[in-house]
Amino acid sequence: MPDWEPKIVTFLCNWCSYEAADLAGISRLQYPSNIRVIRVPCTGRMSPKFILAAFGKGADGVWVSGCHPGECHYIAGNYYARRKFSLFKSLIEYMGIEPGRLHFSWISAAEGAKFAEVAIKVIKTVKDLGPSKYFIKKINDRAA
Amino acid sequence: MLGYITKIRTISERLLKESRVDMVIGFRKGTVPMMNEPCIVKSPENVKELVWDSNCGINLANYLTNRKEKIAIIAKGCDSRNIVTHIIENKIKRDQMFIIGVPCKGMIDRHKIASMFEREIIEVVEEENKIIVRGNDSEKVFKKTEVLQENCAICVHRNPVIYDELVADLVEEQKDVDRYEDVRRIEAMQPEKKQDYFNNLLSACIRCYACRNACPLCYCPTCFVDESRPQWLGKSIDSVDIKTFHLLRAFHCAGRCTDCGACERACPMGINVRLFTKKLEKDCLELYGWEAGLSLKERPPLDTYRPDDPEDFIK
Amino acid sequence: MSKDKTGSVVVIGGGIAGMQAALDLANSGYYVYLVERSASIGGIMSQLDKTFPTNDCAMCIMSPKLVEVGRHINIELLTLSEVNGISGKEGNFEVSVTQHPRYVDTDKCIACGLCAEKCPKKVLNEYDGGLSKRKAIYVKYPQAVPLKYSIDAKNCIYFKKGKCRICEKFCPNGAINFDDQKKELTLKVGAVVLALGSKVFDPSVHDTYGYKKYPNIVTSLEFERILSASGPYGGRLVRPSDKKEPEKIAWLQCIGSRDERPGAKGYCSAVCCTYAIKEAMLAKEHSKGELDTAIFYIDIRTHGKDFERYFNRAKDESGIRFIKSKITGIPLVNETGKHLIRYIDEAGKRVEEEFDIVVLSVGLGITGKSADMAQKLGIELDRYNFAATSSFEPVQSSRPGIYVCGAFQAPKDIPSSVIDASAAAGVAGSKLAESRWSLTKTKHIPEKIDIRGEPTRIGVFVCRCGTNIAGVVDVPFLVEFAQSLPGVVYAEENMFSCSQDTQDKITRVVKEQRLNRMVVAACTPKTHEPLFQETLTNAGINKYLFEMANIRNMCSWVHKDNPEQATQKAKDLIRMAVSKAALLEPLTEPVMQINQKAIVIGGGVAGMVAAKNLAEQNYITYLIEKTDTLGGQARHLHETWQGENIQQYLAGLIEDVRSDKNIEIFLNSRIEHVDGFGGDFKTTIQHNGESKVLEHGVTIIASGASELKPNQYLYGKDPRVVTGLEFQQRLIDNDPSLGQLNTAVFVQCVGSRIPQRPYCSKVCCTQSIKSAVKLKEINPKMNIFVLYRDMRPYGLRENLYRKARSAGINFVRYNFDKEFTVATEQGDLQVAFTDCVLRRNMEIRSDLLILASAIVPEKKNPLAQFYKVPQNDDGFFVEAHVKLRPVDFATDGVFVCGLAHAPKTIDESITQAQAAAARAVTLLSAMSISVSSTVAYVNPNFCSSCGVCVSICPYSAAMFNEKNGKAEIEPTLCKGCGLCAASCRSGAINLNGFDNDQIFAQIYAMNKVVL
Repeated sequence: MPDWEPKIVTFLCNWCSYEAADLAGISRLQYPSNIRVIRVPCTGRMSPKFILAAFGKGADGVWVSGCHPGECHYIAGNYYARRKFSLFKSLIEYMGIEPGRLHFSWISAAEGAKFAEVAIKVIKTVKDLGPSKYFIKKINDRAA
Repeated sequence: MLGYITKIRTISERLLKESRVDMVIGFRKGTVPMMNEPCIVKSPENVKELVWDSNCGINLANYLTNRKEKIAIIAKGCDSRNIVTHIIENKIKRDQMFIIGVPCKGMIDRHKIASMFEREIIEVVEEENKIIVRGNDSEKVFKKTEVLQENCAICVHRNPVIYDELVADLVEEQKDVDRYEDVRRIEAMQPEKKQDYFNNLLSACIRCYACRNACPLCYCPTCFVDESRPQWLGKSIDSVDIKTFHLLRAFHCAGRCTDCGACERACPMGINVRLFTKKLEKDCLELYGWEAGLSLKERPPLDTYRPDDPEDFIK
Repeated sequence: MSKDKTGSVVVIGGGIAGMQAALDLANSGYYVYLVERSASIGGIMSQLDKTFPTNDCAMCIMSPKLVEVGRHINIELLTLSEVNGISGKEGNFEVSVTQHPRYVDTDKCIACGLCAEKCPKKVLNEYDGGLSKRKAIYVKYPQAVPLKYSIDAKNCIYFKKGKCRICEKFCPNGAINFDDQKKELTLKVGAVVLALGSKVFDPSVHDTYGYKKYPNIVTSLEFERILSASGPYGGRLVRPSDKKEPEKIAWLQCIGSRDERPGAKGYCSAVCCTYAIKEAMLAKEHSKGELDTAIFYIDIRTHGKDFERYFNRAKDESGIRFIKSKITGIPLVNETGKHLIRYIDEAGKRVEEEFDIVVLSVGLGITGKSADMAQKLGIELDRYNFAATSSFEPVQSSRPGIYVCGAFQAPKDIPSSVIDASAAAGVAGSKLAESRWSLTKTKHIPEKIDIRGEPTRIGVFVCRCGTNIAGVVDVPFLVEFAQSLPGVVYAEENMFSCSQDTQDKITRVVKEQRLNRMVVAACTPKTHEPLFQETLTNAGINKYLFEMANIRNMCSWVHKDNPEQATQKAKDLIRMAVSKAALLEPLTEPVMQINQKAIVIGGGVAGMVAAKNLAEQNYITYLIEKTDTLGGQARHLHETWQGENIQQYLAGLIEDVRSDKNIEIFLNSRIEHVDGFGGDFKTTIQHNGESKVLEHGVTIIASGASELKPNQYLYGKDPRVVTGLEFQQRLIDNDPSLGQLNTAVFVQCVGSRIPQRPYCSKVCCTQSIKSAVKLKEINPKMNIFVLYRDMRPYGLRENLYRKARSAGINFVRYNFDKEFTVATEQGDLQVAFTDCVLRRNMEIRSDLLILASAIVPEKKNPLAQFYKVPQNDDGFFVEAHVKLRPVDFATDGVFVCGLAHAPKTIDESITQAQAAAARAVTLLSAMSISVSSTVAYVNPNFCSSCGVCVSICPYSAAMFNEKNGKAEIEPTLCKGCGLCAASCRSGAINLNGFDNDQIFAQIYAMNKVVL
């Protein structure tokens, strides 16, 4: 599949990483187009079922990014999220999803450059893995 | 065992007579060998129904959920830890309960015995550390340690962690147990191998939810599998739906599971579903130094955090 | 309504202090003019990388405030403006302002940046400390407010040479206006707040080190830019000379501070020690190798809240070296770019060491321009040109009606500036209370259309943003694509969706097409969502029926070279936005009535000042004191460091509070029980043996702290050993025996800065110096020793320290790690310790030993439970945010001031109390508030009562309903983070605006590509 391009569902917290992605744009930093951003108030909002649904519906990768620890707009949302992510990532990789499909990062509103760098890295890692197969539902509900 | 039973009955009788409790939740002899049933005893006359032996694997905490009465409950190590979690999670109040603590030396695995005996089992008798199995024309003696449930064999909390009265002296806890040998073996596999392993493991699953129903932690009014806005998890036995179900069921037990083995015991297809919960148990211990149900003061690890929690996986 | 006083205020200076003052005033009912000399607000804070002591990103925490100021309906931003003079008097001033031309029409500029890209003129970028270049047409920084370009006429080729006008040619919206003229304005206001800020010391003026001559000698502010991800090197830590990674960096403290020589300033700048620690820590984090960092200092002054812990962390965990020294020179080491730091260490030894970068920790000072302005306004300045104020009225200038705040009052850090700013707003507000809401504007809200039951009719507006979007992605194709999506009944493209004429047009289209959901595919919701929501509101549609697709910042701008894939992505983004929009529901913002009374807990100076300010602003205030007297710790204080009589002030304050009809005082009272939440509290107090329920809207905690009673140094065993406060009492009592003493010894840090109490008690150094000076005045022959670890008379207090030294008081640094004993020797008190300089044991026989004992709060203060507010390990209350919300709690409607918050001096307590009152008034004055609808709610049928939400909610908004035992979320407390919704296993919690079904819809829409 030479022309295959992965799709990566990207959840960004409203206060840091979403702003960082905006800043990357303002700074015209270039990165590949494979990410699809969904804005969430906080990484604390991230329920594991969103990640499962994304993989189940055909995402080749999922990337979640929020504020650095201690910088959460909601005081501690990312601290709670960090524990959830830690256990969830470990479990889903234990069950066989390739390490490199699910990514987490802390990117502050000032780190436009870091956003572009991590985006490039995440996209490359997912691309190298090839299309996701293991967690995608086989039933084709394209008609929906 | 006889000592245990006498003590259980004496305490229960006293509590019921003095009206300290409205009921006692314990075990009675089942109709089939190796299948004791949970029972509720409400009058002092009936305490003779209560028994105790190595077939009391069912987690009685599951019968406490949202009860309003005053209850005496018989609790081995794992039950007591689930009772702690129940208290923390407002499923029952501490002062509603009289906990009759049972130091436990493990429950036996009836599937294992059945497969080793290979004939119809008429009777099973327990003596000291021996299990004597009788069929129509044969008898076989097992060492109890050989036929323990796997979770009991590796149990490190045999004594109840919370109780009002004990039926016997505390037993010695097992030391130097390797609880996670199987988990580590899977962790070490390459992703494709893991995929094969779990596809294979779950190929028998019929989504009967027996594992969920047996679990004292699963008490939500509506389970995530029935969420309808949207119905994001398919109800089919598609392999991804099944994997998603087991993954999220285990995740919901993260930091709460005591490895009581209820889920696995309940599975009609004999699937080792503890492999999921044990993975999380291992991670909670390694990452947060946490074991479920040991303290009434702390909430499970996902309900709290430390600023310096490990985060090597985060970019 | 004619009022005697004008209900508006001018705030001069748009740094963090000015912004805070403007917000507090505007939020408490006054119309505010915010005058800023430069083209955008933000001040020095906008240049900082991170902030101490939490290492929070400065821009991240500041940018929501910038946006709030920029969008506030009652704040009129006057940038590029200067005040020429003020006439009139308190209550009715006329302020004349000159607004310089921007040469860019702010209504038309969409900040696309094309002008700057094409502008041929490069100039040094002062925002980056001159380490990078900008263009002659520019914005200071990407998050600037207003986000409008401006032409720097001094450098513009057209203005200098008469031709160029390239920016004009490329501007897609005709925003360039070379004919722009300066304007003269007259503002009528009731009060003036000066937040003129400060400027960092310029070491090149009286050059001793070779700053500006050698590129690897930089100031600390320049180093902030080097560290910053948005700085000249993109956050890569490199040497300016050759862009190589440094191996060793040194900080030289007190550059331009604590230095009486010409050009420098005699005072301590109060912030440099902690920022140097911060920079060193961050440098280590940035560095890929093993970076060696050293801070060369005189005294380490980490006196602020949690600064001492920060210092300990730097020393013990980060391995930053601290070298007490005197620098003699920093010559360049030939060709290596390194500098050789020559210094004399504490023991008097000469030492040399090479470093790759030398950072000069420059102090803060007042600019000539600010001093000139102060002169024009007729307010008094001190010898350093800081605004002259009294300790008891710290934000009041010498001219009634003119208030000062921030670093213009004294060198200070961000939280102190923010506290000042709120205090200035509070005091200004208290004088204008009768005219509150008289000049403010309210939004006109058009009639609402009820869309319930209607079929979904989504309109999609795709913005070309000139060529910003349309130059990369195929906009006409996107419009066509949008029309094909389910629920979409209308789609069109706009040249600039945000321009005023397009906004009007969109309003028309929404009405004509009877749209009931709107999607705008354009730039980012972070800057533009409120604007489009307003457009929707203007068309009568609930503003929550709006969604944006970010196809510029996250698409066309970042995938310039790949138009095809960018268009594909834009399609996905639009499909995702449309599928979410279809599920949006109109939301009403809950309105909460605010009970108009306040409770202040604690009858010390902080509590009384807060109560007095609230009463002056016409709010009934209950003042609760647990003892039988008002006055708190101040009852034992003699004079302020400036020599003002505290007892006299206290007597006056108590009298004011007692006689104020708006204040009801409850002595001998304790809090017993608290119900309710911000806006509607019911507090039960135990008063004279009876329970009494007080209803109130806000709570101010001023419960104070006390002096530690030491258990060492013979305290309590020998009457000649006393604490600092006990000694103060003797001064108050005019104790004649003090004149008889031959020798007095002060011991610093008794119970502070120790492992069990790892904080600095802040006030004791200055208090001991002051007491020592007093003793010297009483008996000039007395031998006086102050035994210290680091002398911390921060800020202007340094002058007192200098005076004390010249008066012959001996300051001796004792070795904290060695033995320190006090014993009686033949009836004499004998103090034995190790001197740091002489490195020898010393003994002093003393007639009086004064122990500068720690300030200790109540560790398990029940108020923490009652009002759901946190205490730190030391027992001090934890504010909502150390930098920007220093008197608020995360829990709404509860505020903190005084010693309960952290050790502080009386003037700081007064300021913080006024600030707490001001913050409380922003809530009270609104009478009722509508809160955001982006809140979580519980479906009780699904709730399992497990308590996860109750335990994790950072705002204590989740609680159990006592009747059915199910969880509930109080919408007025919820901030909409969604943590509970994500953590609820039984799926009982929904989050408006980011609900599960909406997020699932976005996920699904992304992956169902039908090409």
